[in-house]
Amino acid sequence: MTGSAGASGSPSPSRPPRTTRRAVLLAGGGLAVGAAGTGAAWALTGSSAAAPDPPAPPAVMPPDDDLMREHGVLKRVLLCYREMTSQVQAGGSLDARHLHDAALVIHDFIEGFHEGLEEGFVFPRLRQARLVSGTVTTLLTQHARGRVLTQFILAHATASGVASARTRGELAAAMQAFVRMYEPHEAREDTVVFPAFRQLLSAQELAGLGQHFAELEHQQFGRDEFTAMVGRVAGIEQALGIYDLTRFTPDVTAYQPPQ
Amino acid sequence: MRPDGGPRPMRSATAGGCAALVLLAAGCGSSPGTGTQAAGQPSGHGPTVQIMARSLPTVGTVLVTAKGYALYMFAPDNHRSVTCTGVCAGTWPPVKLLAGGSLAAGPGVSAALLGSDPDPDGGRVVTYDGWPLYTYTGDIDPGQATGQDIDLNGGDWYVLRPSGQPLIPRP
Repeated sequence: MTGSAGASGSPSPSRPPRTTRRAVLLAGGGLAVGAAGTGAAWALTGSSAAAPDPPAPPAVMPPDDDLMREHGVLKRVLLCYREMTSQVQAGGSLDARHLHDAALVIHDFIEGFHEGLEEGFVFPRLRQARLVSGTVTTLLTQHARGRVLTQFILAHATASGVASARTRGELAAAMQAFVRMYEPHEAREDTVVFPAFRQLLSAQELAGLGQHFAELEHQQFGRDEFTAMVGRVAGIEQALGIYDLTRFTPDVTAYQPPQ
Repeated sequence: MRPDGGPRPMRSATAGGCAALVLLAAGCGSSPGTGTQAAGQPSGHGPTVQIMARSLPTVGTVLVTAKGYALYMFAPDNHRSVTCTGVCAGTWPPVKLLAGGSLAAGPGVSAALLGSDPDPDGGRVVTYDGWPLYTYTGDIDPGQATGQDIDLNGGDWYVLRPSGQPLIPRP
């Protein structure tokens, strides 16, 4: 099986909990989120004061917002997968390094961390409350299937693997299956599962769990892994020629009404 | 989510212990002792954890929970300690031995190989031949072994034969 780069759960008890990524200085302190609050609430609180505010204690990002931000990393890898799949299907080549690196982001950060948070803290609470149970079962099944696809991609994303037309085709099919599954998967989580989860937690529970997520991230990676992953995915996008956001802006001349 | 044990408890963010956000029965309050306890010794009023053997499709006869969910070992545990903690344990819930609980070996399972190790997350985890035992959230129904031979959370995962041998595929 493929190796795991940095996904080990070795705790680092000597280091203080990290507060860089999720820590947001909120004037007045505290976490201004309620059970029915939105993701924007915590970010906007305390920003209206004209006079400089005294230093405030750091607050944490609500856990569902945190998970949705991690979904952004997943979305960008799906974009990479789609681009590589298109290249293969157009008869082009496939760079094993880029594919392996993209799959490692999935393996280490999404499957080895993000999904563990969902499986350990979000899904059990929803099941306990008998909310969206059928959806949760499907999501768990899809996590497991996604891991199988990732193991396949990692095992075959080698120089010799991509040199074979048959293996390139299999890799493209695996990427395509992964994208097809995870696009609706994460959309359902963002719009149904996480909102239902948020409704179950009090403001105090949200704050505590957000802090716990931050501590778990530091325990596992010893750094701000989200930011590191965003940079890593950006590098893959650049290598694939899809980093420039303007590339996705359509020309709408044909759709404009005649003058 | 845990096939036999219900949802994994959330640990307190501040105390890191059992003043939990959602504190459920398993995982907290167990004896913090070290070393491996002898198996099958009723030590109080806690529940009995029964380890069974069952033939599953694709993997043959392996250890399972009383409800028939496959049990796994984690290679980095190295036969001696619980290293799947934190986020890892969200995906691979360990089989917990609650304070005062006892262990029982089903048919084909060796009681002499049962034991428990301390869990850094709290409480104790049931072991077999020194391997801490875990379930897998990807096993939706009893009788599945979808976590077999998966590399995740820093190491490889395998089901265990009743002899205590992990089912490691030949290269």
